Amino acid sequence: MYLSTGLEQLQEYLPLLLPLIIVELVLMITALVHVLRHNSYRFGNKVMWAIIVVVIQIFGPVVYFVLGRGDE
Amino acid sequence: MKAYIAFTKKEWLESIRTYRFFILLAVFFIIGIMNPITAKITPELLSSLATEGITITIPEPTAMDSWLQFYKNVPQMGLIVLVIMFSGGMTGECSKGTFVNMVTKGLKRSTIILSKFTMSVCMWTISLALCFMISTYYTAYYWNIDGLEQILQSVACLWLFGVFLIAILLLMGAIVRSNYACLLLVGGVVVTLFLINMVPRLQEFNPIRLTSGNMSLITSEMAIADFVYSISITIILTVLSLLGAIMVFNKKKL
Repeated sequence: MYLSTGLEQLQEYLPLLLPLIIVELVLMITALVHVLRHNSYRFGNKVMWAIIVVVIQIFGPVVYFVLGRGDE
Repeated sequence: MKAYIAFTKKEWLESIRTYRFFILLAVFFIIGIMNPITAKITPELLSSLATEGITITIPEPTAMDSWLQFYKNVPQMGLIVLVIMFSGGMTGECSKGTFVNMVTKGLKRSTIILSKFTMSVCMWTISLALCFMISTYYTAYYWNIDGLEQILQSVACLWLFGVFLIAILLLMGAIVRSNYACLLLVGGVVVTLFLINMVPRLQEFNPIRLTSGNMSLITSEMAIADFVYSISITIILTVLSLLGAIMVFNKKKL
């Protein structure tokens, strides 16, 4: 009973959640690729930024691109 | 004119290569989706919190709640991200010294300011339009949006405030040399506007009204005519900031 209502609810929210998840993933992957490919950061190191970008949704990648990305 | 187009193109390339445009789009996309989600999920969250003995009666969410979220999230999160993204535009290039070459080769300093303004406004417009379209689409998907009027006008007010902020950013960027000082000064201007807003007689003329009065436009409590003073003052301040930015920048040592 509980499971079926859960599925129905999921179905109701899916059109909203799906694009949200996709955008979050795109942000995360672009940031992660950038972190792994570049070696200079304004502060911190590669491992720290990789964890921040993957663990913290939305804000992690934004913070990395605004504050952490070093100049080439 | 040729220099203007070339420099605007350079600005465009720069915002793509530094991921600035990408982040703006992503953030505004997320805000656009978050508005209907928050409006829809909040009552269910609250009712799941209700334990035995407590009855919480929550009205069914409506399209109005979704717009309420829109005018809460965009001025807060959206504008903050916008200001942070563009705060380094002037000061960064000054400190890196990339202006020197172009100015000595004959690029007018006013062109730099105007191109930067054009490109920033373009990006702000595209981001806000994206956010607005997504929010409208999902709001219409879940609720009936009949009877809500003046939505476009209220978004236009919000847009104008964003343009005003960009002009202030350019002015402050021309005055100071540090990125953080620029952010601080822009924050100072906004705080001052909020302080002025505490005087009831001045509220009508305050640019802040463009971001705080949006809901009363949608509920038809106010008409766009009530915003005329605020809109004109904002436009005048925007033009003055741009002129000021050009004047200050002309005298600045690069």
